[in-house]
Formats: sequence, C-alpha cells, structure tokens
Amino acid sequence: MNQAAPVPKENQGQPVVRIDGRLKVTGQASYPADIATANVAYGALATSSIARGKVSKLHTDDARAVPGVLDIITYGDMDQTDTPKFGNTGASSIAPLHDKTIFHDGQIIALVVAETFEAAEEASMLIRADYEDEPPSASFDSKGVKVEPAAGKSPMLQEDVKAGDFDAAYASAAVKIDQKYSTPTQHHNPIELFSTTAMWQGDQLTVHEPSQNVTGWKIELARQLKVDPANVRIVSPYVGGAFGSKGPMTARTAIVAVAARRVGRPVRCVVSRMQAFNTQTYRAETRHRIRIGASKDGRITAFGHEGWEVTSRPDPYVVGGTSATGRMYNYGSVLTHVSVVHADRNTPGYMRSPPETPYVYALENAMDEMAVALGMDPVEFRRINEPEREPIGGKPFSSRSLVKCYDQAAEAFGWSKRNAVVGSMREGDWLVGMGCATAIYPTASAPCAARVRLTADGQVRVQCGSHEIGTGVRTVAGQMAAERLGIGMDKISVEMGDSALPPAPVSGGSISTASVCSAVLKACDAVRAKLFAAAVAGDGPLAGSGNAKLEMEQEKIVASGGKSAKLSDVFKAMQIGAIEEYAEFAPKGSTPEALKKLYAGQAEFHGGDQDKDSVKYAFGAEFVEVRVNSYTREIRVPRVVGAFAAGRIMNTRTARSQLMGGMIWGIGQALHEATEIDRRNARYVNRDLQDYLVPVNADIKQVDVILVPEVDLDVNPAGVKGLGELGNVGTAAAVASAVYHATGKRIRDLPIRIDDLIS
Amino acid sequence: MSNSTNPSGLSRRTFMTGSVTAAAAVPLMAASTRAAEPSPARAVEPRDLSTISLRINKQAYTLALDNRTSLLDALRDHVGLTGTKKGCDHGQCGACTVLVDGKRVLSCLSFAVMNQGREVTTVEGLTSADGELHPVQQAFVDHDAFQCGYCTPGQIMSAIGCIDEGHAGSEDDIREYMSGNLCRCAAYPNIVAAIIQARDEIRRA
Amino acid sequence: MRPFLYERPTSVSAAIAMASHLEARHVAPTQANTQFIAGGTNLADYMKLGVAQPERLLDLNELAEPALRQIETNDDTIRFGALVRMGEAADNNEVRRRCPLLADSLKFAASGQLRNMASLAGNILQRTRCEYFRETSWPCNKREPGSGCAAMEGVNRQHAVLGVSDACIATYHGDFAQALIALDAVVEVEGRRGPRKIPFAGLHRLPGDTPNIETDLAADEVIVAIEVPLGAWSRRSRYLKIRDRESYAFALASAAVALEMDGNTVRQARIALGGVATVPWRARAAEDALRGNALDDKTAAAAAEAAFADARPREHNAFKIPLGKRTLVRALLETRDMKV
Repeated sequence: MNQAAPVPKENQGQPVVRIDGRLKVTGQASYPADIATANVAYGALATSSIARGKVSKLHTDDARAVPGVLDIITYGDMDQTDTPKFGNTGASSIAPLHDKTIFHDGQIIALVVAETFEAAEEASMLIRADYEDEPPSASFDSKGVKVEPAAGKSPMLQEDVKAGDFDAAYASAAVKIDQKYSTPTQHHNPIELFSTTAMWQGDQLTVHEPSQNVTGWKIELARQLKVDPANVRIVSPYVGGAFGSKGPMTARTAIVAVAARRVGRPVRCVVSRMQAFNTQTYRAETRHRIRIGASKDGRITAFGHEGWEVTSRPDPYVVGGTSATGRMYNYGSVLTHVSVVHADRNTPGYMRSPPETPYVYALENAMDEMAVALGMDPVEFRRINEPEREPIGGKPFSSRSLVKCYDQAAEAFGWSKRNAVVGSMREGDWLVGMGCATAIYPTASAPCAARVRLTADGQVRVQCGSHEIGTGVRTVAGQMAAERLGIGMDKISVEMGDSALPPAPVSGGSISTASVCSAVLKACDAVRAKLFAAAVAGDGPLAGSGNAKLEMEQEKIVASGGKSAKLSDVFKAMQIGAIEEYAEFAPKGSTPEALKKLYAGQAEFHGGDQDKDSVKYAFGAEFVEVRVNSYTREIRVPRVVGAFAAGRIMNTRTARSQLMGGMIWGIGQALHEATEIDRRNARYVNRDLQDYLVPVNADIKQVDVILVPEVDLDVNPAGVKGLGELGNVGTAAAVASAVYHATGKRIRDLPIRIDDLIS
Repeated sequence: MSNSTNPSGLSRRTFMTGSVTAAAAVPLMAASTRAAEPSPARAVEPRDLSTISLRINKQAYTLALDNRTSLLDALRDHVGLTGTKKGCDHGQCGACTVLVDGKRVLSCLSFAVMNQGREVTTVEGLTSADGELHPVQQAFVDHDAFQCGYCTPGQIMSAIGCIDEGHAGSEDDIREYMSGNLCRCAAYPNIVAAIIQARDEIRRA
Repeated sequence: MRPFLYERPTSVSAAIAMASHLEARHVAPTQANTQFIAGGTNLADYMKLGVAQPERLLDLNELAEPALRQIETNDDTIRFGALVRMGEAADNNEVRRRCPLLADSLKFAASGQLRNMASLAGNILQRTRCEYFRETSWPCNKREPGSGCAAMEGVNRQHAVLGVSDACIATYHGDFAQALIALDAVVEVEGRRGPRKIPFAGLHRLPGDTPNIETDLAADEVIVAIEVPLGAWSRRSRYLKIRDRESYAFALASAAVALEMDGNTVRQARIALGGVATVPWRARAAEDALRGNALDDKTAAAAAEAAFADARPREHNAFKIPLGKRTLVRALLETRDMKV
C-alpha cells in the first residue's frame, strides 16, 4: 500500500501525483537562483556587527581593491529610491542604506558586486565599519524595551477579544489554573537560500526571487524604485520552501535592482544562511499568561489569555492569536490582552500559522494542565467544552468537526490504552508518555484571477500568478481544470509564479487552494458555457439537447440524455482553435475595491473571524507518543496521529503531505527549534543549520494523517479550507503534555530539552 | 578522452567568460605537484585560475576555475548544471549532495580543484537516454517524497549512495543514514518509503 | 575567502618538504600560511567563514603511499591509514567485530556524506564548532589570541565543563577521538624532524592561556597512521552519544567505554567523555574508581561522580554535569551487559 496516496473519502479528490514531480526529481524545476543569465555579476552583502547605534565610517577601500569587484552599493547609493514600508508586502520600514542608523544586528551596510561569487564574498568580508554604538535591548526583560498594547497596531489584531465577566467568573471558579508559557525565536530556514537576481533591459526590470507574493512585490518594488509597475516583473516559478519567509519583500530586492542598473548587467545575490537570519523575517519570541476557571465537573467558566510579543523598534509587527484561542471552546467568559515589546531587533514576520502556533500552544498546554487539575481525561475535557457557537460574537461555525477528529484520531492512536497515571507507562529504560491537543486554523480566501485556455486538441493551460511553494497548488489547480473540463492530467499545464500572469493573492494564510481553485473553477465554467452553447446550437453537434444537463468528460461533452460530442467536433463547429477565459474570483462579502486591490498587490482576506454570518475554521486533533530515557532524559517522538477536517480535500496526496509536514514542524517546535540570542548585545548566536536544529529523518518515525470527511459550502465556491498551516498548530502542546505524562514535569517554555528534564 | 562540451550547450555565463574549454583544446593535466598552469613569465599566484579536467555525468569537461570555487558552484555557475542545490554552503543541509567516484559527498565543501580526474554524477545524470527515470527518482514521485522539491536532488543522490553503501536495510537504517539531508517540508516518512521501494527494485534488477 | 595556492604533492616526503619553511616551526598548524587538506569538511567550512586563512593548500589526496588508505587488523592492533575515510572505517566489519566502540564512534558522527569525505586524520584534528569561534565578528581567544572569549558570559549551552580555562571553554566535538583516547591509540606522524609517535592523549592541548594552539603538531607534520592496540577490553566496548536530535548533531554528552571484566568485577575500565570537555577527555579518575570493584548502579554512579569532580559549569551548560554523569552510568551498565 502506498501511504502517500490515501484513498479518497467523501468530498475528497484523487491522490493525483504532483504535476511538477518529474521536474523536481530530475533537477529541471527552475528555482529563481537557477535561472540562466548571461553575463551575470555576483552580489554579496556586508552586514553590521552591532544591534544599535550608527555607522560613523564605512571602510570599503580593501574591498574595492579586490580584483573583480565592480561596485559597492552603500550609503547614499539608494537616495534616489523610496524607503521600504512595513505592512502588506514590505517586511520592515527599516531602510538599511538610506540611513546610517543601525536598528538590529546583521543589518545590511553594503552590497558588493563582483565578477565572481568568490571575489564578491572575499570583498564583502573586507568591509569594515566604525560604529557609534549604544547598548541594545535584546528581548523581554531587557532594559530599554518599549512595551505597548498591541490592539489596533496591526491588521492582525484589531481588538483584544472578550466576552462576559471574566473577573467574576474566574474569581468564583471551583478549579483554576494561572500559568505562564513561552515560545522562542524561530527562523523559517527554508532549505532554498534567499536570493535576488535583477536584470534590466532598458527600463524593463525583471527580478528572479523566491516569492510568495509576486504581484505585491511588483507594486512595492516599483514604488521603491520610482518606476512604473508595468515595467517590473517578478519571476518565481518554483519556491524552495517558504513558510511565510518569502511573503514580505525585504530591503535587499531594491538594493540588488539598483546595483544591476549601476553595473549595467544582471546581478545575482544569494544571501548566506547566516545573513538570512538577520536580513529576513522570523517568528518572534512570545510569552503568555493563561488563566482558566472551571466548575468541578469540568465546564470552563473563565478563560484569560494575555500575550506578549517582541518586535523591532519601528514596526509594530503583531500576530495576536487570541482571536483564535478566544473562540476555541465554550468558555463562558473571555478576557484577552496582547502587548507588543519593541526591542533592537529586525522586524519579525509571519511564519507558518503565525498567531496560532504560539498562542494555541499556550492554550492547549494549559488545557492539559487543567484536565490534570480536574482529574479528567484531556479528550473528555475538550469534548464537554465543545461550543455551539463561538463565544466572542456568538456566531455559528460554518462547520466544526473537532469532536469527529478527536474520535477518529483517538481510536487510531489507541488512546484508550493510555494509563493516565503520570510515569506509569514504560518500555525498558524508556518512559512512555501520551498527550493530545487541538489544532485550529482560520479558513480564509481572497480575490484571485486566473486564465484558462482549452484548445481543440484537448490541451489545457491554466495561468495564475499564485506560487508553488511546495503545497501542491499547481497540481490542485490543474486537477480543478481537469475535472471541470473533462481532460486528463497529462494534457494540463499550469503556469504560476510570475507577476506577468493573472494576479493572485499572497500565498499565505492558507488561502491559496481556496482562492486559486475558485478562480480556476470560474474560468473553466466560462469555457464550458461557451462550449455548451455552441454544442446545443442549431448547427451544433448536440443540437436539440438544449434542455439536457451537460457535462464534460474524457474530452467529450455529454448530455444527460446520453448523447455526446467530441470536443474537437464542437471546436470544428465553432470554427475556432481555442477558447480562453479570464476570470476574477472575489469571496462573498468582498468590498467594491477588492478586485482593484488584487491588481494593486493587496489581498483582501475574507473568512476566519471576519465574516458576518459565521466564523470559519478548520480543525484537527493530534495525539503524540513520546519516549524519555530514564537515565539520560533525551526525548524522542516515535508516533504521531492527527485527524483533520478541512472541507473539500482537492488531493489526498498533497493534503496528507502538508499535514504530515506540519505535524513534524510541530515536533521541531516542541523539541528542537530556537534561535539563541546573546542578550548582552542583542545578536543571534546560532545562525546556521549546525546549531539551529530542525528535525532530521531519524527524529521522525510514524506519522499518521487521517483526513476526516467534511462538507462546507459556505467557505468558498470550491468548498476548500486551507490546511498548509493547520498541521503544526497544537503539536507542541501535545508533546509537552506527553512529556508531562511520562515524567511528571510540566515544561511551559519551548523548546523542551534534556536540560529541562535532567536535574 | 572525448572532446565534448556541456551537453546542454555551452552555458550562458561560461560561454561569456570562456571558462569551459573543449577538452581537446587544453592538454589534460596528469596528477602533478601543481594543478595551476604556471605562466612562463611568473610564478603562480593565488588568484590565478587553475585548470582541471573531470567527468560530469559521463561527459568530459576542462574548466578554468578560481581555486576557491566549490564543486557546487562549479557545477551550477560554470557548467550550468543547476539541479544540484545550495542550501547552506557549509555542509549542514545535504542539498548539494552529488556522487564523486560513486560516493555521495557534499559538493559545497569540496573545492572543485580537488576533483581533478574524478567522475561526478549529479541529478541531471540519472535519467536514461530514453527519459526513463532512475528507480529512486520514480519512487520519489510515487511516494510524494518532496513538497517544495528544493532538497530533492540532494535527497535523491544521497539515497542512491545510501542504497549502494548497503545502509538501506531497514527503515531505521534509512532514517539514520539519510539524516544528513534536511527536508524542511518534512517529507521524511515518504522519503523512507520511497527508498524502500527503490532499494527493492534495484536489488531485483 | 582569501585566495590560495593549491598544490598536490604525491608523496608524504614531498608534502613535508613543501610545507617546510621557517614559519612552520613556530606557528600552530591552524595558523600557518601553508596548510594540509584531505576531506576538507572542516577546513573548507572555516575558510569560507574567514576563520582559517591559509594562503596555500597542500592537497594530500594524491599521496601515493598505499598504507595511507588501508586498514590493517590483527589480534593485537588496528592500524588506520590517515587518509581512510570515516565512512569506510565505520563500515569495516573487522573493526566493528574487534572493537565496536571504534565503529560506533564513527557511525554516530556527522552524516553519511561527511563521513565519506572526511579522513580519519582530519577528523581527529577537527576544530571546535563554538559559534563564537565560527563567526569572526565575535571576540575569541582561540581565533584571535587576546581578544577575549564571548562564550564565557554568552550563550554557552554547548560549551565544555571539563578542561576549561579562563581563556576558552570551547568544546571539542569529535567522537572518534574519544574512542582513540580511551583505547590508548598512538598517532604516527612524519615531519621534517623525522617520524614520531604521539600517544593520543598527548596530541591535543588543553586551552590554558593559549587556546589558539590546539595540538602538539608542527605545521610541517603530517599524520600518516593511527594505531589502536587491542586487548581484553576491545570487544566489550561501546560509544553512547546523547544529543538533542536522534542523529546528525554534536554530542551534548557522550561516553566511550571499554571494559575488561572478571565476572562482574572490573579488571580494567577505559573511559572517555565527549561533548563536555575542551579536548578529547580521558576520565582516569572514573577508571580508578571502578578498578577491582563490581560494576553496578552504585559503583557506576561513583565513577561518574569522580569523572565530573572538577567540572566547572557556566550559565547555560550546568546540565551537562548531571547529563554527563548519567551518560557515563548508562554507558557503563550497557557495556557491562553486552554479549561478547
């Protein structure tokens, strides 16, 4: 049996192999730094070694003396451009070469351009800066940080959600907990390095750079360079892992573009793994205080969630996961508050389930603590607090299959064999622990355009400026077209990752499958309408079937009465060779400006907690078994089971892979990942894959994904809930709960390491 | 040794800089105490290019390279074989794995000049002339052993080495011996399943 | 990276002659202008980082002497040629059969690819992976003598608790070396001053005031072989490595153990500790504590106490002391229980 290809259940599509699979296993998939470029020059960044202060003098003479150096872009050289903006498409307002102020460690101080990669690297390491440095503030508790309420500072958190009278309910609760949790700094570390290749042909600029938002970047880059967006093209056909890191454009892109214009040839800058830690975004460290009050029979009456998040000095980057945690269970009363802590750091950015990963971790670890305090089974505790409506606004869930997920995952996991007594389960020298947690992720979609062309010989081309970051969106978009047009996958081609294509929203927030498939669906339906009309016309091959229901299958139009016509005959009757349709999809509730914003590179999200009629979320239940060595206390995870319900599953193969990868991310978050900060000088210490640990193959044993059937036609026309970010929500809490079950130690600060369990 | 050039035609950059030369045009260097061609006028200097000859995917190449150029950058930037990927450039991720004389190694930590006379196999060299995928490649497709696909060439080359070394006997062996190849999308269970399929197929053949 | 000359000597004597100049007698090999390279997994990495800046590399891979690439085993010794690759030695059935500790210390190091590249001699000379050493913008006494040590008061979870000095707490991360020091291996060296044999315990130098001087080698000396004596302890031997990940990670603590038992009584114990010390670390006090005693939980714990009696923790690495002790206890008991 091939576990990679689950048999589809109700409302689930076929496990079609990836449309780009062959390209990826033969090395032919072209990632942006692979692009063949004549006469390319190489760029290398020089970055600051202090986190706060000013560059008083930059010494570039040694670097310029390196044979092969063509140019050094530094202070003054970006003056003709506009500064980056923080917000929708820009990672940060920090404008490294516009201003000698240093806001964070590893800030760009120059870009060297040389004939060869080796010369550029050599020269970049010879650049020296004199600084007027000031003592920096590294993180929470550092002297000099600025703490302020987060609500309203960022579109991610418009308000601190609340319901009922928390204070009274908590005060009178029979059983309560009040605990603090934390999550560390994390970096996405996609295996593909960040890179920019910029080339000018006259006033036409083409930039090859891995991106989750080619349309947004086109607009933003044109703004910074003060050129017409029509003259800028961002190309990113394959992206080597993104996880949010390639969503916002960073300052480098414009700098490389300026360098290419100055040296009069293409410039490619591949950022080193180390430098990426500072010049790209990251998941900021968070702190949480959770208070839960419940009656003795386990009904929650009060839920309080306070969060603190680190950001840079100038930019109020906030994730604010209280919107999701505040709606998770039937709490009775809710009180939340999020604070943002400004430190001398680069601006964080979104990383796979940005709000939910840290906030739901805290909630779910606390839920397990509460179940222990109540003496209840943690699954049962969640079951009895299952809400009819979400507690904040009293809206229904468009669909919510959490209990089904728990039932199916618990069954598959063998939860009933768990002995609830802490430390009671053992195998040889290994303590065994089992834990569970809920996964939740908002279901959203955004306006999206697509173009579909069907030719008389049955070839289909789908074009959409979305991004194949590994999710399989190229494959499922092709499947959608194949299904609607009755064409085999072998005759479908899908073009993505180019701002010259019909615009799509940023590939973030798990919106891509829903948004892209809805647009492709619409374009296909327009193609169908033309074909159907021609087929049943008086001189058409299906003349007289005007009242029949028509379908397309196997390159034929089939009428409900049984008559059918070959596609080629319909085209012949129409006396054309191809039909091409351009469609724009806008979610229900879109503003009148929504489509205009799409072309301006701004995605208007709908769904989640934003809609009037209902709230829209995907849910899952995750069960984890851990082993802790009784002598040496290393923690291993031999088994994970997750059951997820996410509306229509377009492709069980790619869906399973994403959810599986998500859960493995959760294991990494629980046990491995942390960017270490030297607090004396606010500098990252482990800026590489040697010491920033992510799981390796040997860390991962059995990972089971159950796709729970669910139908939800409210969410979008495709009926699809996103699941790229669902899988890694909750996992870390399940691991923490399992570690507690094995050892009796409740670890609240991630990652959980030997250090925590050894003493 | 045959007179040949890059099978995909001279790559754009190398064509521009002329750093690839048809093998016949430059006398092959025997193993000697100097890899670089000393100019008669002066002693060799560190910045001088060295000439090296090697075979890549069964084609002979003679390259004039900076001594600092890694085998990885030589493949990507000078030969035009970009299937091999750079993920860290410090031997920490495995994305640059290629076979050198049949052994899997990290091309980022190998100076190209140290590969004089060696036989290098990259992901581009696996598919048969009629386009049939190598069993490991096919198994990776069948088992969805990748998502973004960036680490995949390295995973595939490493898997071939792993099977060839006899380290693919059990799932646990595969996990251990494939741990030098990071997959951030975390397709690990699928990679293990793919290697088992390919191993069995290779054994049968 | 600094540009460098590249040369490829074809004999050991040629390599030595090419490396020999005035400087070679006075400068640590890691700071010499001319340096040897074999696998390159450590040196190429550090050259890219600007930590190592040789202006001339002598590639040892074309050295003609066949013994450099051979593993010779007999009942008394295993002799590894210096250019044998780690993977080759790890997979050698005779090595595993005669001394599992040697094979496992290699198998659990690095990754398959790195083991295929790295030579045994290069592996034992690998330099610390201390992040403050790796990045040139931090002060580091090992990289830049007298500049200070950023790790001392910095993020030092990975750092050593044994063999530390006020100048340096960088961990020696190698695994194979722990097996070699436990087994009293001898390193055979050739250099301008002629051949010499260095007991493994004398190869690496404690950091003291000069952490930049890492070994006893001169810059024109080449390791040609590593000889490991075998004895009654060799088969009952084991390498236990504890790390954050299941694989491909440096040891937080490791123990190399070889036991010669008389029933349940320890006739001779050979113990080395990895991941916790600045150099390959022989735990003689622990060995002494076990000699002549039954090996059980209690005596193993007493030996572990003795091993870490002089440990000096910093802010983030104090856990290595209990972890190191437990690692040793577990390794001792597991080695005792081996079926040989």
